[in-house]
Amino acid sequence: MAAALATGEDRLEGVRLLVESAAGIAPRDGDLKPVRHLRFGRPGMDRGRWSEISAMGWLGIRLPETAGGAGLGMAEYAALASEVGAALLPEPFIEAQLALDLMGKDAPAEALSGDKLVLPAWLDTPDGLTLAGGITEAEGRISGRRRFVPMAAAADVFLVVSTEACWLIDAKAAGVSLEIESTLDGGHTATLILDGVEAKRLSAPDARALEAAALATASALLGLMERAFAITLDYLKTRVQFGQPIGYFQALQHKAVDMEIEIGLTRAVLRDAVETFDTGDDCRRITSRAKARAADAAMLVTRQAVQFHGAIGYTDEADIGLFLRRAMVLAPRYGSAGFHRQRYGGLREGRP
Amino acid sequence: MTAITSPTAPQPHADLDPLTDADFRAAVRNWIAASYPQNLRSPPKRLHAAEAMPWYRILSQQGWLAPGWPREYGGMGLSPSKLLIMIEEMERYGCARLPDTGLTMVGPLLIAHGTDAQRAYHLPKILSGEIIWCQGYSEPDAGSDLAALRTSAVREADQWVINGQKVWTTLGMDAQWIFVLARTDPQAAKQKGISFFLVPMDMPGVKVRSIVNIDLHDEFAEVFFDDARIPADAIVGEVNEGWTIAKNLLGFERLFLGSPKQSEGALGHLERLCDHLGKSGDHASLLNGLRMELEDHKSFYTSFADKVRRGERLGPDVSMLKINQSALYQKITDRIMDVAGELGTLAGQLPDTPTLYPGSVFLQARPTSIYGGSSEIQRNIVAKQVLGLGR
Repeated sequence: MAAALATGEDRLEGVRLLVESAAGIAPRDGDLKPVRHLRFGRPGMDRGRWSEISAMGWLGIRLPETAGGAGLGMAEYAALASEVGAALLPEPFIEAQLALDLMGKDAPAEALSGDKLVLPAWLDTPDGLTLAGGITEAEGRISGRRRFVPMAAAADVFLVVSTEACWLIDAKAAGVSLEIESTLDGGHTATLILDGVEAKRLSAPDARALEAAALATASALLGLMERAFAITLDYLKTRVQFGQPIGYFQALQHKAVDMEIEIGLTRAVLRDAVETFDTGDDCRRITSRAKARAADAAMLVTRQAVQFHGAIGYTDEADIGLFLRRAMVLAPRYGSAGFHRQRYGGLREGRP
Repeated sequence: MTAITSPTAPQPHADLDPLTDADFRAAVRNWIAASYPQNLRSPPKRLHAAEAMPWYRILSQQGWLAPGWPREYGGMGLSPSKLLIMIEEMERYGCARLPDTGLTMVGPLLIAHGTDAQRAYHLPKILSGEIIWCQGYSEPDAGSDLAALRTSAVREADQWVINGQKVWTTLGMDAQWIFVLARTDPQAAKQKGISFFLVPMDMPGVKVRSIVNIDLHDEFAEVFFDDARIPADAIVGEVNEGWTIAKNLLGFERLFLGSPKQSEGALGHLERLCDHLGKSGDHASLLNGLRMELEDHKSFYTSFADKVRRGERLGPDVSMLKINQSALYQKITDRIMDVAGELGTLAGQLPDTPTLYPGSVFLQARPTSIYGGSSEIQRNIVAKQVLGLGR
């Protein structure tokens, strides 16, 4: 499915192979018990799997080979993000990638090898794509605050991002404190408080890295909704009421078609967005379309999926609920649908 | 879109398929701009044959009437990719839709299933505009359930005798010939006893009555057959093969039922209406949201058009494109009525601004979710053939 995001035959084949190779780590039909097992724990991720992810060369997938990356493009990154999304992996794949993209050639080798997890801290408001200022620097030490740092308890290093610069800090350095809160999907997010923390200054952030993260998140939402829908279709074909599978009822069939349309729209928009990104053109408008569509569609599909499951869908025991809860966490990340609609309107009117 | 260079004007009947896509697009765009009758640009209603004839003849003289037909039959022999470009450029310029049933249905039908004699007689008359065709499919008791049709064709010596009634025949008043699905074996299973016939409408036993649509336009008609006797060779294909032939006719044309053109036109209308009322600022968020939905639909359309360009057959999933298009089109026209307020109550065009006719736009959006398979039928198709939810 995700392979359809690439255009051009050679590229398509490469993406297909990449997706196939992902099945060992992020299977589309895998048992979700390991995912459940990590919920609401700390650090809430599997370092063994993280090592496998780095061994597959997924970290730094977009970095040039001279910077230790794989030198691939958005089509490949989006395809992997889609598989990670479908598998509901709790590992902060997109966040780690964002940090690597922001560091570029300055990325430490341990970050690429997976030995050290570097996570970005870029927000001071709930508006997922807005870079904040407010970090003060004196004699190589920084102070300030960053909010909504996903999976912060798992980080070895933070990349503190500000409008004018990025800084690397050790997560255990003096002056670092974390206020951790659980998120709906069993992961967590933290407020990072910095009080005179020793920091290595890097150059100002390239905003395009955040566009890539937004597109990757849209792609993760696509994978997530595709799988939630597949599970739901199976249920419609096997659950019997009134002496027949409930999927024979036209009222349910028509709603299922509307879910498929939303998934198809998301895939089509993402494909165009990924293509635009890879040409190097300004991709902000189409990124906004992709993220807004993916967020709305994933919420519609997962909500309706719970409805189709009936009472069992309302239990924690049913896997379908995991998809809704993850969708609720990914939908606003790197900008909610509303945020992106507003940004799209502003860009159309020529606001920067 | 990249700037378009000005190539030399294409000669009538020249083979344009060897051109690059970019050169072809430029040639088509320039030629349309130079040749299209300005008074027919973006008409507020579907044109009758007489109104559209000037444009029909211009295309005929250029040899551009039948872009998809092979060149040996007088078509342009374009690849699907160039055919799409041609249609996009015509839509872009606001070219009126022709009385095109002969071009899109009868021509391809006869080329694929007709006899040499049928091709030799009919194809030139379609290309010259001498014969306008209409389609005799739906009946009063066979709409969504088309295969339940009851119009009968009975063989008597060297003739077929047709009895029954067709309805919702678009431009039925304008046409000289009609192609008819009729039952030739009342005992067979309902799809298996249907045949395909070509019938002149000026013969004894055929009567046409126009039907005024909800927008008060006499766009379609009902056609009655009362012992209409046609020669034995008026059948297309084999006896009782009509249903299969009709299904095969629905090729990549189904793509166009999901074209973003109608939604694009309606959103343009809404934007102009907001401007006219000085309310573009008030409605900025509404307009922006609809614009994003339209752009998303275009991405959806492109994903299917790309299949056609690659020469692949469209699957039943293309029904989703039509469902989404008609829903978006109607959503936009709902908003048009909302924004128009009292102006939406006026019949016809606004007195001071004839390019605005909000009430008509709303009414014209009604049939898109009905014709060519209603949205409910399309959902049945997708549920069963794509999602596997059927019995």
